[in-house]
Amino acid sequence: MEPRETGIDSLLRRTMAAPVPSLPPDFEQGVMRELRQDLQVPDRYRRILLNGYGLISVVTSAEVMRGQGLDWGPIAVMILGPLTLVVAAARARHARIMKETA
Amino acid sequence: MVESDTQLVARAKCGDQQAFAELIRRHSPRVFRLAVSILGREFIPEAEEVAQEVFIKVHHAIESFRAEAEFSSWIYRITFNQAVNLKALVRFRSPHADETVLYRAVTTEPGPDRQAATKQRDQALAECIRRLPEVYQSALRLYYWLGAGVGEVAELLAFPSIPLNRICIALANFSMTC
Repeated sequence: MEPRETGIDSLLRRTMAAPVPSLPPDFEQGVMRELRQDLQVPDRYRRILLNGYGLISVVTSAEVMRGQGLDWGPIAVMILGPLTLVVAAARARHARIMKETA
Repeated sequence: MVESDTQLVARAKCGDQQAFAELIRRHSPRVFRLAVSILGREFIPEAEEVAQEVFIKVHHAIESFRAEAEFSSWIYRITFNQAVNLKALVRFRSPHADETVLYRAVTTEPGPDRQAATKQRDQALAECIRRLPEVYQSALRLYYWLGAGVGEVAELLAFPSIPLNRICIALANFSMTC
């Protein structure tokens, strides 16, 4: 190492010497608390909105299909079929991830 | 058995809050050190806020994270950008606040002349550091102040090898002209 370089090295060590800060021990809890508050409100509204949309879609579809002269049997199959598929796909995805991380 | 980041991220993507809390525990010290190294010692509470913001952003964006990249590299990049943006904002609000005042004035040396010379040299050095690119300033603080090793500095700043020796030589040359 060059003398000038050694000089600047010790100068930097001296001028930058100060206590090293650290995070408070409850930092992680604070972030989780913040996240919960952050998520609660939009989640509730999203769920209400999604359920409302789903309900209106089901009623409208059933009304339209009844208007076309279909029986309740085929109407139920056409509405509940896709819903069952969506739920099954979500469960399968969750199970696959849990298996991968086990 | 200790779970890898990839496993924890996959669980967090499914909404597992425990997994996300573990990611915070694992990465928060380094995220904070990186934020502090960018913002400097005058802004330690702000660095804590940056660390908190980073984890909130990561939580919102974790669905979009692809496993090809390292989770740690991703989170350090977010931290770097967040801290640099905040620093720019702070400088905009108070353009006269620089780190010259942060460096310790050495009072143990005898004589007012000697003290004044030391103070002047320290201020010149602080000014030189301030002129360096952000990433080099951060590297110097991580190494000389926060006691990080060269490997950790390189990992946090996503540099394969931080040329600390060359920065020192440049600073030495620089401070002679300051």
